[in-house]
Amino acid sequence: MIDRRKFLTTVALGTASAAFLSACGQSSSSGQTGSAENPVTITYTWWGNDDRAERTRKAIALFESKNPDIKVNGNFSDFPGYWQKRATEAAGGGLPDVMQWDLSYLRDYGQRNQLLDLGTVKINTDAFDKSLLPSGQIRGKTYGIPTSTNAFAVYYDPAKLASLGIAEPDGTWNYKEFNAFLAEVGAKGNGTLFGGTDYTGIWWNFNIWLRQNNIQAFTEDGKLGFSKDDLKKWWNLTADLRGTGAIVGEDKATQLLPKSPFGSNVTATEVTWDNFMAGYLADSGAKELKLVPVPSDDPDNLGLFLKPSMLMVASAKTKYKDAAARFIDFMVNDPEVGQIFKTSRGVPASKTQRDGTTFEGTDKLVVDYEKSIEKYLKDAPEPPIVGFGTLESTFKRVTQDLNYGKLTVDGAVDAWFKEAEDLIKQNA
Amino acid sequence: MTQSPTLSRRTASAPTQPRKSRRRGADARAGYTFLLPWLLGFIALTVGPMISSLYLSFTNYNLFDAPKWIGFDNYVTLFQDERFLQSVGVTMQYVVFGTPLKLAAALAIAMLLNSKRKGQGFYRSAFYAPSLIGASVSIAIVWKAMFGDSGPVDQGLSFFGINLGGWVGNPNMTMGMMILLTVWQFGAPMVIFLAGLKQIPVDLYEAASMDGAGPVRKFMNITWPMLSPVIFFNLLMETIHAFQIFASAYIISNGEGGPAGSTLFYTLYLYLRGFSDFRMGYASAMAWLLVIVVGIITLIFFKTSKSWVHYSGDAK
Repeated sequence: MIDRRKFLTTVALGTASAAFLSACGQSSSSGQTGSAENPVTITYTWWGNDDRAERTRKAIALFESKNPDIKVNGNFSDFPGYWQKRATEAAGGGLPDVMQWDLSYLRDYGQRNQLLDLGTVKINTDAFDKSLLPSGQIRGKTYGIPTSTNAFAVYYDPAKLASLGIAEPDGTWNYKEFNAFLAEVGAKGNGTLFGGTDYTGIWWNFNIWLRQNNIQAFTEDGKLGFSKDDLKKWWNLTADLRGTGAIVGEDKATQLLPKSPFGSNVTATEVTWDNFMAGYLADSGAKELKLVPVPSDDPDNLGLFLKPSMLMVASAKTKYKDAAARFIDFMVNDPEVGQIFKTSRGVPASKTQRDGTTFEGTDKLVVDYEKSIEKYLKDAPEPPIVGFGTLESTFKRVTQDLNYGKLTVDGAVDAWFKEAEDLIKQNA
Repeated sequence: MTQSPTLSRRTASAPTQPRKSRRRGADARAGYTFLLPWLLGFIALTVGPMISSLYLSFTNYNLFDAPKWIGFDNYVTLFQDERFLQSVGVTMQYVVFGTPLKLAAALAIAMLLNSKRKGQGFYRSAFYAPSLIGASVSIAIVWKAMFGDSGPVDQGLSFFGINLGGWVGNPNMTMGMMILLTVWQFGAPMVIFLAGLKQIPVDLYEAASMDGAGPVRKFMNITWPMLSPVIFFNLLMETIHAFQIFASAYIISNGEGGPAGSTLFYTLYLYLRGFSDFRMGYASAMAWLLVIVVGIITLIFFKTSKSWVHYSGDAK
């Protein structure tokens, strides 16, 4: 049996020592910073594939070895799940301290006071291109620091084209020529290799097409800048290709998730951001992938722009502002971090990181691609409207229904506009 | 059908003696004290959120800003929302086809396992196991892999010359796949059926045999009526359960309800509305509508049950 006195003494001692220990922990200036013996732990989350996870782990290890007073707890998920998790956490007031962020969602969270104003903490932005920083700012406050830039491009796998006896494209093509190219791959690929994914399903590609036609996607007062007719024209571009070998079937693409058809070696091309290179190489095991500009019916206006491929943000409620700022500063500026990620996050946005990184092979291809399109680059589009993330995913979903044959182009246009108008009304 | 069953243990109350009333007061206090943690949890974690969600269902609430009162707007908009109607259709399909199939499987296996044979314990555990792990994420992932392109199901079927391709990406096949998944998890109702079957007196069957009744006749005239309260219970529980399907649909469709909205179950759409589109007021309205509909269905079940559920105390 437990002796009563002994028991009470133990409890008293335990309580006293716990109080003592916690007092020690707090003694180092207000509990907000750590020390090498008693580091603070911040949480960091990002989206991406295994390749990015591996690189991020390396970067975190490097940060911890240089900053023994901070520990970083990292975790990641795929892109769609990522935003559902953040919404849940935001509602509960428990966003991770530091997060990888996307331009599409910056307004939703920044404007609603969920993100830390990074102007209030110490992050060095001297090495950044001044035209890029505003994309992380809303109403004069800096909520996100770009890690890197990316631009839209057409990927292709030279080895696959060679095996089909198709010449490599040089990237000067209009939509008709591009479609003919996809159809040729499909015809020669004979059911095992498709031309590409339906490129009209990607919002940003549509946005580029609008720019090629000198149309603004969103007006300054947060309304749609294009008409139903424009969207109809866009979705009709691939109307003849859907259901043929030129475009991979939606059922096949769905089965392959979370990998893309291109990463799974089912298509010969893919139209998307140039920083997906590392991920595609890792997923597909291809020896080499190449990049050319997107098609345009106006050869002088490709509608291209540099977008911050990712941003680093901190939670407005973080208890460790200082540690979070140091981690962000490290992730965007440290030359060794540039060396770890190369172009897998995009071309590094800060000059120190760019200069400290040796780009070889495919990484050099990405950097060279962004250099080659320099003369076509125009200002990035207006920061998307509140709720843009929903619009973007609806865009994708509606195009999937198109490809399943569940919707006609007209029906798809109506469905998307209904959602968009409803959303704009909601957030007005 | 005029007399309702009387429960004898409820009427047979404990003897009341005045001198013990003080003691009983203390007992009650002790009882409430022990109940308190649960009661607090119930109020804080169930009643509280329910009331606030009822309030939110009349507002426009985006999780961040203060909710704006909009009256019945959410409820009205729901019926103009094609995706909402689609989610209702998908869920009804699942409930209407999945539940009876699952119960039929559960009853059939329970009857097989009811007879005495070697290794009975093993079989019972083996059949029950899937429902223990069935709701878990890992099973949904395994299921997705099994029915994927060139997965075991596809390969097995093509061995017999049936080429359906993968089910996961085919909007016409996903519902079948989801129903198979729920039917496979028949363990819980099976155990309850098994318990019910044990209650049926063996002499009824013996008497029927003497009168020359075959297995079909025995089932229709003995098993079904004797088991009807258990069937009713299982039907009710499984129907309610089916309305709440979420985890497996979420995993199999990558959280999007695809392909082409074929797995856009009610709760999944509710979740997407709340947490992807930041429309928590709308989602709350959906949740309350679900409560109301399930309530009505339960009521209908109870009303109609009088004609086919027989309790042992019933006067015929």
